[in-house]
Amino acid sequence: MKHFGWRWVAASSLFLIAILIRTGAAETRPQYGGTVRIAIREAPESLDPVDATQADSVARRNLLALIFETLVTVDERGRIHPELAVEWQVAPGNQRWQFRVRRSVKFHDGSALTAEIAASSLRTANPSWKVFAEGDAVIVECDHGDADLPAELALPRNSIVRRNGGGKLIGTGPFRIDDWQAGKRLTLSVEENHWHGRAFVDMIEVEMGRNYQEQLVELKLGTADLVEVAPEQGHRVAMEGRRVITSQPMELVALAFGSDAQTADEKLLRSSLAHSVERTSMRSVLLQGTGQATASVLPNWMGGYGFAFSTDADLKLARREREQVRTTANWTVGYDANDSLARVLVERVALNAKDAGIVLRPTAGTAPLQSDLPRLDIPGPDLPRLDLRLVRIPLASTDPWVALASVAGALGMAMPRLNGDSAEDLYAAERVLLAEQRVIPLFHLPAEWASSPAVKDWRPASDGSWRLDEVWMGREEQ
Amino acid sequence: MRDAIRNSFRSLKLVLVLFALSCGLVERAAADDWSGPAQQLARKIAAVTGPGAVAVTVGNRSSLAKKDVDAISGVLRADLEELGVRSAKPEQAAALMVLSLSQNPRFFVWVAEIHLGGSESAVVMVSVPRGDEVGFARESMPVSLRKIPLWSQQDRILDVVVIEQDSEPRHIAVLDGEKVAIYRLRNGKWQQEQNLGITHARPWPRDLRGRVVGAKDHLLDVYLPGVFCRSTTSLPLTLNCHESDDPWPLVTAGVESLPPFGGSPVQPLGAFYSASRNFFTGALTPGVGKLTTVGKFYSAAPLPRERYLLWLFAGTDGQVHLVDGVTDRAAKLGWGSDVASVKTGCGSGWQVLATDAGENGFENGADSVRAYEITDRDPVPVSAALDFAGHITALWAEAKDDSAIAIVRNRETGEYEAFRVAVGCSQ
Repeated sequence: MKHFGWRWVAASSLFLIAILIRTGAAETRPQYGGTVRIAIREAPESLDPVDATQADSVARRNLLALIFETLVTVDERGRIHPELAVEWQVAPGNQRWQFRVRRSVKFHDGSALTAEIAASSLRTANPSWKVFAEGDAVIVECDHGDADLPAELALPRNSIVRRNGGGKLIGTGPFRIDDWQAGKRLTLSVEENHWHGRAFVDMIEVEMGRNYQEQLVELKLGTADLVEVAPEQGHRVAMEGRRVITSQPMELVALAFGSDAQTADEKLLRSSLAHSVERTSMRSVLLQGTGQATASVLPNWMGGYGFAFSTDADLKLARREREQVRTTANWTVGYDANDSLARVLVERVALNAKDAGIVLRPTAGTAPLQSDLPRLDIPGPDLPRLDLRLVRIPLASTDPWVALASVAGALGMAMPRLNGDSAEDLYAAERVLLAEQRVIPLFHLPAEWASSPAVKDWRPASDGSWRLDEVWMGREEQ
Repeated sequence: MRDAIRNSFRSLKLVLVLFALSCGLVERAAADDWSGPAQQLARKIAAVTGPGAVAVTVGNRSSLAKKDVDAISGVLRADLEELGVRSAKPEQAAALMVLSLSQNPRFFVWVAEIHLGGSESAVVMVSVPRGDEVGFARESMPVSLRKIPLWSQQDRILDVVVIEQDSEPRHIAVLDGEKVAIYRLRNGKWQQEQNLGITHARPWPRDLRGRVVGAKDHLLDVYLPGVFCRSTTSLPLTLNCHESDDPWPLVTAGVESLPPFGGSPVQPLGAFYSASRNFFTGALTPGVGKLTTVGKFYSAAPLPRERYLLWLFAGTDGQVHLVDGVTDRAAKLGWGSDVASVKTGCGSGWQVLATDAGENGFENGADSVRAYEITDRDPVPVSAALDFAGHITALWAEAKDDSAIAIVRNRETGEYEAFRVAVGCSQ
């Protein structure tokens, strides 16, 4: 048998040193135990998935997903996967759906999940739906064929919730609520007997209402393990040596009008405003290159055709359109006073609009944006009467149809109904929405987070889902 | 010995050539599939432009390879010609068309933006379902590790056992959390023969691990956390599963390949596995020399020395414990959690395969396997890293001990892929 010579071993030893320097951390299996400490900007007052008074956000969705589960889930490619339902069938015409409920699933209070409870939960979330239990199955009957019903059932509002007599909400998720101080603090502990296996960490602690700056400080001080990063700050934080994770662009930043354009002049003015906006330079300077400039509702990665909507500013055309209108264009544009990015974006849009001959008066308000959207023309207690607002709308799903419908809903618009489900049908639906001139898309932004080195195997989904049930903390006692 | 190695290399080459050829066929088939959507798009374009000269520009915004882009462009131009739309230079054209080959998560989306002059323009498009991509093995030096694809699927693969092989695996059993699926290679394609369901009362741990092992008097034994299954000895083949705390074998059928020490053959070593976690508890049976317990560990590998058998345990404490029957020496080697030993004709005859974060780094979700020798106290790498396209979720030595099974979760597709990791001498 041939043995290795000493020269070979010596050379290999040098090779070993090089390897150790290069790789740094080695792959290891997940370890059990420990606490993940999270800081977020949002400060939800309720954890009820059906509470429409709470602003939708990636963070809120992620909190709900730790506690509650849905019948099915949608992955990053828009494919449906079983969760609390193990299988489903649909009758021809996509009107009658049957979901067989997984056995042996327990709520956090120890009670068993049944089809009756699941059906009741879905009825609460969707009072207009016809939902009932039949044996171990949940039946959903739609008024019209709905091929996207499974994707809709994957939305957080359709989480399966057991409501006990005291109004307490009980879920089946990988973590249970230990302590809830509305808008301030949430403590979760691991569900030992979760149907999908116990998650690795013991506890999750969430501090809410922390601005981006406070969050970064907490990460640096080691008092938080996982924090949000402002989209425009992502590069800088990464340059500081922090691990920054970025989702696919899942948030639409847009200018939204409160009502349809009533006259031909108003349509021309809105078109003029849309043509005046210099998205590319705003992205370079104000967003530090993050996100994507867009003139479409859905990001290109989701629809595949976003580039077909031009994002180039055309000041000549904007002025020409403006000059065709004799009335003055003097609009109040609102933005969230707590959102520094919104302020600079609105100010820049106002400058562009001025070049086209349109006066925009930026006005900050404190009312929640999303919940106010449909009522934009009705001034709230803190807001003057607004003509339009800068809105940030999280896309609800990786399913493009559900995402488009959710944006339409947030803007108070009806979702166009088309027969097909091809990319061309989606494009046509989006054209119909944009033709109403209620919204001027500006950017698609990703969600960004920074984490401490102790957080292992953290791979958020491209839609921004945290997936903390797969996370483990390095070097904790087992 | 050298003839055997040469023969095994020939077999490996044959497998790789067949694999490469089959990939070529798949690509060819895919290229042929472009014709339908290209024809569809050509009709839509012609409906906008009418017959005449059109300047065409093609851009790729998708994951399609250049040769696919060229193929699509060629087929589309030919289809347009048939419809009376001929390609021309921009100055001679009545219309300009920008074709963008784009994609979304489920479809390739081909978008044609047509400018007809003035401000008149139109957008037409078609969508084509996306397929999956295939990765290839890469050569490494001086001891060479090669990966031979065996199987891939959406569900988590825990282990694969090759039941029968000649020059290449012909009959395999694939273990996942719910079943053992048996496949036979027929006419170059794996065909499913049977599914043997696994019953279990308790939910599986999240980082589920398991072993499927060939047996002498029946086909298979299956080890899962808190569950043991044995296949029946007669047809029809089924699996009989029951809750069990029985130890898992750390060396499967290859104990006889280990050299006898002190005149007596090596006893098979088993270890108890936690029913609700992802590690071995540390209790061994019958033990390594005088030691019947070690710390909790993820995986173990034996290395025959001249007078004793050295065991390497990848501990849950992040260290590798070298146990010789008397002492337990812990070392921080920077390895991953999975180790397996392989018997080769190279070097001292045995090497350890260990996982670590690959070229692309741990955070990017790509791991590698590397072979090491332990010549004195410290391990010395004897191969380059064999990179995989995702995290390695299992690494088990095969029964013949001359190769290992690596299970990888592909970070792009999310699918689990099983590879045989074969070791060859290149010096």
